[in-house]
Amino acid sequence: MAVASEQDELYQEAAQTHGAALERLARAYEADAELRRDLLQEIHVALWRSFSGFDRRCSLRTWIYRVAHNVAASHVLRERRAHAQTLVGLEELEQLPDANSGQAAADRSHALNRLLELIQRLKPLDRNVILAYLEGMDAASIAEISGLSSGNVATKIHRIKQVLARQFQHGPAPTGPAGEAHD
Amino acid sequence: MTEHPNPVQELWQSQPVEGTKMSLEEIRRRAGKFERRIIWRNRRETLACLLTCVMFAYFMVGAPSLWFRISYALFIAAMIWVAIQLHRKASARSLPAEMGAYGALQFFRGELERQRDSIRNVWPWYLVPTIPGYIVLNIAWVTARPGHWLPVVGFDVFVIALFIGIWKLNLWGSRCLQRKIDELNAAANGL
Repeated sequence: MAVASEQDELYQEAAQTHGAALERLARAYEADAELRRDLLQEIHVALWRSFSGFDRRCSLRTWIYRVAHNVAASHVLRERRAHAQTLVGLEELEQLPDANSGQAAADRSHALNRLLELIQRLKPLDRNVILAYLEGMDAASIAEISGLSSGNVATKIHRIKQVLARQFQHGPAPTGPAGEAHD
Repeated sequence: MTEHPNPVQELWQSQPVEGTKMSLEEIRRRAGKFERRIIWRNRRETLACLLTCVMFAYFMVGAPSLWFRISYALFIAAMIWVAIQLHRKASARSLPAEMGAYGALQFFRGELERQRDSIRNVWPWYLVPTIPGYIVLNIAWVTARPGHWLPVVGFDVFVIALFIGIWKLNLWGSRCLQRKIDELNAAANGL
């Protein structure tokens, strides 16, 4: 079946080229290890199912990130209903006191945990933008994935940079191994 | 991609990952499981509707008067109408392909609007269809036992209070969803 094999091929390509980014994304959306594994599997299944309707009107990367973010954000909204967790916007994140940066940034693992904490407090749309930014995407790509205008994305990136600069003033320590799968 | 990742981007991208992989067989198995779950949910809803209809049909057969029989028949029709509407609303849920076709903003606004619209006005599809049955049931009671109107009024007050309660609760839920939609629109406009 030609359609089924194309669906399989697209999925395999997606898993191979963006598998590590999807794991990072799941980590940003779910703190609990068990639930995170479920979420990641849910993303993979949704991706595979979505490729039966992939019309190539956007790039493969944009499609993958849209599906992954939308699945993960649905998961957040579901969990938030269950645990009554309050999420904030980038604006509120700017009001947070500066991190104890001397100590926090000295250790990569501390810095990463601090970064994850910040991300996990954000509302899904802002989380979408910050994650795409952290993955190194430009404003145009982020706009395509999030559905926001380029100008709006640029404003949000400006805020993100300010928040990150304040929270990680001295930058994370440069030591430590690089990721096993880094795309 | 930006050419030179800043230290925080570098920190994010270089974090260790487990390298989780799922085989196509596993993916297909899970996708099939998901679809079977939906099929079973639909079957359960249909069965619940059928059982209620059978119960009303049983009452209808043994009903002491034509008014009661008409009332139960109207309840059966209302049950079928509500079940069809519930099925339609549930099957309108977004498919994975739609998740890829729309950005996060459009996707979420669509989801929230769909939820809001389904609960904003429960009268036409959930409450009104049962009203004819209640009215005829009132007539049946009054004609069966003339003069015993107090229990009928008590029942009517209970039903009216229940209807208003359901309506108000759904109205409150739709307002909460509207606030979230407004928040999203504000975010879209960069407010």
